[in-house]
Amino acid sequence: MNPQALMDGLITGSMIGLGAIGVTLTYSILRFANFAHGEFVAWGAYLALVVSGALGYLSGSLLTPIGPFSFGWSLPMAAVIAAALTAGLALLVDAVLFGPLRERRSAVIILVMASFGAALTLRNLLEFIFTSQPAYYTKALQIAFPLGGGLRATPDQLLTLGVAAVLVASVHILLTRTAIGRSMRAVSENQQLSGVVGIDVRKVIRMVWMLGAGLACIAGVMAGLLVQIRPQMGLDLLLPLFAAAILGGIGSVPGAMLAGLIVGLAEALAVQLIGAEWRSAIAFVILVMILLLRPQGLFGRPE
Amino acid sequence: MILDLMAYGAFFLTMALTYAIICLGLNVQWGQTGLFNVGIAGFVAIGAYVSALLTTPDAPGRFGGFDMPIAIGWLGGALATGFATFLVGALTIRLRADYLAIATFGVAVAVQLCVLNLEPVTGGPFGISFIPRPFASVAGNPSLFSALNLAVLAAIVILLYLALERLARSPWGRVLRAIREDETAALALGKNAVRLRLQAFAIGGAIMGLAGATQAHFIGFIAPDNYMPTLTFQVWAMLIVGGSGNNRGAILGAVVVWGIWAVSASAVSTVFPTEQQARAASLQIVMIGAALCAILLLRPRGILGEVRMFHRVGPATGNDQPPDPPVNEPLHAEKP
Amino acid sequence: MTAAGSNSPVLSTQALVAGYERDLPIVRGVDFSVQTGDFVVLLGPNGAGKSTLVKTIAGLVPVHSGTVLLGGADITAMPSHEKIRHGLAFVPQTENIFATLTIHENLQIAANVLPKERRNDRIGALYAMFPDLGSRPSHRAGQLSGGQRQMLAVARALVVEPSVLILDEPSAGLSPKIVSEVFDRIAAINDAGVTTVLVEQNVKAALAIADRAVILVEGLVAHEGVASQLADDPIVAELYLGVRHTKNPVSS
Repeated sequence: MNPQALMDGLITGSMIGLGAIGVTLTYSILRFANFAHGEFVAWGAYLALVVSGALGYLSGSLLTPIGPFSFGWSLPMAAVIAAALTAGLALLVDAVLFGPLRERRSAVIILVMASFGAALTLRNLLEFIFTSQPAYYTKALQIAFPLGGGLRATPDQLLTLGVAAVLVASVHILLTRTAIGRSMRAVSENQQLSGVVGIDVRKVIRMVWMLGAGLACIAGVMAGLLVQIRPQMGLDLLLPLFAAAILGGIGSVPGAMLAGLIVGLAEALAVQLIGAEWRSAIAFVILVMILLLRPQGLFGRPE
Repeated sequence: MILDLMAYGAFFLTMALTYAIICLGLNVQWGQTGLFNVGIAGFVAIGAYVSALLTTPDAPGRFGGFDMPIAIGWLGGALATGFATFLVGALTIRLRADYLAIATFGVAVAVQLCVLNLEPVTGGPFGISFIPRPFASVAGNPSLFSALNLAVLAAIVILLYLALERLARSPWGRVLRAIREDETAALALGKNAVRLRLQAFAIGGAIMGLAGATQAHFIGFIAPDNYMPTLTFQVWAMLIVGGSGNNRGAILGAVVVWGIWAVSASAVSTVFPTEQQARAASLQIVMIGAALCAILLLRPRGILGEVRMFHRVGPATGNDQPPDPPVNEPLHAEKP
Repeated sequence: MTAAGSNSPVLSTQALVAGYERDLPIVRGVDFSVQTGDFVVLLGPNGAGKSTLVKTIAGLVPVHSGTVLLGGADITAMPSHEKIRHGLAFVPQTENIFATLTIHENLQIAANVLPKERRNDRIGALYAMFPDLGSRPSHRAGQLSGGQRQMLAVARALVVEPSVLILDEPSAGLSPKIVSEVFDRIAAINDAGVTTVLVEQNVKAALAIADRAVILVEGLVAHEGVASQLADDPIVAELYLGVRHTKNPVSS
C-alpha cells in the first residue's frame, strides 16, 4: 500500500471509528440498529458550521487561524457546543420517537423502521435548510508536509488523528473505570436485572444517546474540516459505520475503533487498486464477509 | 380536457399499480414473515435492469440488449431478483433481525454503485433507454395505449393478489404466520423455519423484481436516480399506511400514498420557484418521514389496517397491544 | 427462628392483580403479608403465579389493580430501581448476576445506591461474609459455578442492607448438595434479622427452613400456615404441593 493511501485510510478510518462507537453503544444498550446515527454526524457538522459562523460574526479574531492549522478558535469552540446540541437532538428524537416505542415494548424491527423514518426526516430537513450544495468551515488551503517514509499530512489531518485517539481512550476509560460506565455495561448485558440492582435504566439510555451523538458530531466536524459538509454525508457514512460496529463486535468500543480503521484502510486501498468510484462498495464487501465468517465480530460474544 | 384527465388518470393508476406490486412483494417479506427489508430500491433496480438488458435491442458499446420478448424480460427480472434476495437472506436470516436490515441496506448501496459504475452493462449515469413498451404497436392511439397498459398492470396485480391470498391460506402461509407470531413454534421447527422464511423472503424479492421490470417497461427508460433510498421509503410508507399483513391494504396503500406523493409534488412545483424546487422536494420527504414515524407511534396497525381477513395478533410482537400501565418495563420481559 | 406475628407487616399486597397481558392476569387478587424478621416461603404448583407475584412486587410485571405496601408506604407504581433504595431487594431466578462484569463490579453496581462513604465498607463486609467471593474480586462473574453465582446474587442483594429480601427459586438448576448449602446461607441471613421471602419448588427443604408458608394456586392464595405444621399435613401437601406420602395413605 502506498504510504499516502495509508494516511488517507487512517484519517477516514478514525472518523468511521468515532461514528461506529456511537452505533455500537446504542446498539448494545437499546438493542437496535439505529439507521439515524449517520444523521447525527451530518447534523453535528452543520450545527458546528452555524455556531462557528455565529462566533466568527461576534468576534472576528476567533477566525484567525491557530498556529499551523487552517481554522481559528471559533471551530473548536463550535465543535464543543455542537456536540452538546447534537446530544440534545438525539435526546429529542428519543423522547418523541424511540422512547414511546420502547415504553410500548415494540419489536426491535419497529424501532429499526422508526430510525429509518427519522433518518430520512433529519437528512431532508438538512437539505431543505442548507440545500445540497457542499459547505466548508474554512476556505484556507493547507500544504501537506512530509513526515518521513513517503508519508505526508497536513496539520489539520494530524490534529484529527490525535483528537480521535484521545476521544477513544477517554470513552474506553469511561466505560471500564467509572460508575456510569459500569452501569452502561450492566444495562447492555441485562436491562431487567439492571433495574433490580438499582440502576436507573432511563438515565443510562440518556447518557448513551448523548455520548453517541456527541462523538458522531465530532466525527462530522472532522469530515467537514478535511473533506466537505453535505446533507448526504451521514447517509454515505452509514454503511461503513454499521460494517465497523459489526466487525468490531457489538458493544466493544476498542473493537469499533479498530474496525473503523480497518474499514477506512480497506477503502483507501480499494481507491488505489480499483478506483475511487468503488469506494462505497468496500463497506458492503466487508459486511458480507463478517456475516459469512464471524457474525459476532472481532471482539464480540457469540450469540 | 376530459380525455386529458382520463389519460392522466390512467398514467397515474398504472404507475401506482407498479408500486402496488412492490408493496405486495414487501408484504410477503414483512407482513407475512416479519423480515425487514431496507434495500427495496436495490431489488427493484435489479429487476428493472435485468429486464431492460434482456429486451432492449442490441446497443453498440454496451453489453446486450438481447432483444427478447417483454414477457421473458419480466420473468428474467423476477428470477434474478429472487435469486439475489435469496443470497442476502441466506447470509443473514439466521442472525439478528436487524442484520438483515443492514445487509439489505448494503445491497441497495451496492446495486446503486454497480448501476452507476458498470457503464458497459448498465449505461452508467445515463441509464438504459429504448426499453420496449408493451403494445407499442398501438402507441399512435394514446388512450387505447394507456388503457391497455393499465389493463396489463391491473391484471398482474389481481393475479398476484389472488395467488398471494391462496398462498397465505395454504399450509405454507399458516406455518409462516405461526413462526412469526410464536418464537417457540419457530424454535421447534428449527431448520424448517429458516427455510420457510428464506423462501418467503426470496418470493417477496422476486415480486419486487417483477415490479421493477414492469415499471421500467412502462416508463421506457431507467437510470440510477430512479432507485434512490427515497423509493424504499415510499414503499414502506405505502405498506404501513395500508396495514402490514394485509394484501388489499398493500394495494390500497400504494395508490393512496402515490396519490399524496403526486399531489404534493405538483403542489411543490406550482408553489415554489424553479430554483427552490429541489429544496422544496426535500421538505416533501421530511413531511412523509414524519408521517411514517407518527403512524408507527399512533397507529401501528396502519391506517387501513383494520380490514383483515384473519383474526390474528399484529406484526411480529405484540407491538399493537394496548400500552401497559407505566410500570418499569424491561425491553425483553421474560414470560413465565 | 422467631415468628414475629404481632408486628405490623413490613411488606404486604392488597387485592393485587398483575400480569404481562392486560386481559390475562396471572396474579388474580392476592392478599399477602410478611412481618418483620419473618421467613415466608411461597409454594404452589407450576404456573400458580408465585414467580409472577414476587416479580410484580419487585416492579417487573405490570400491575393491573391492587397495591403493594413496603413499611406502610405505597410502592405499587415505583420503578424497580427505586424499590431497592427503599429497602426491597430482589434476586431473580435466572440471569441474576452480570456475567460479563467482575465479582467486584457486580457488588460496586449494587453499592452505588448507598452513600459514597459506606460503599467500600459494605462490600468489605460482604466479602467477609462470603469468603469465596472475597478471595477473587476481579474474577468474571460468568466464570463462577452455579452455587457461587447464587451466592454472588444474594451478596449483591444484601449490599444495601435491605429490609426485605425476596428470592425467586434460588435452588433452580443446582445439585442437592449445593442447594442445602444455599439454604443454610439463606436461613443464616434470616436469623441475622433480614425479613425473607422465598419462592420454591423444593417443598420439603423450603418448609424445613421457613417460619410460615403461603400456597398459591391459580393466582390466588389457597392456603397459609406455619411451615412446620404444613409439612406434616398430608392433605395440604398432597392437594397443593404434589408431595406423595408413602406412609399412611389417605383413604378415600
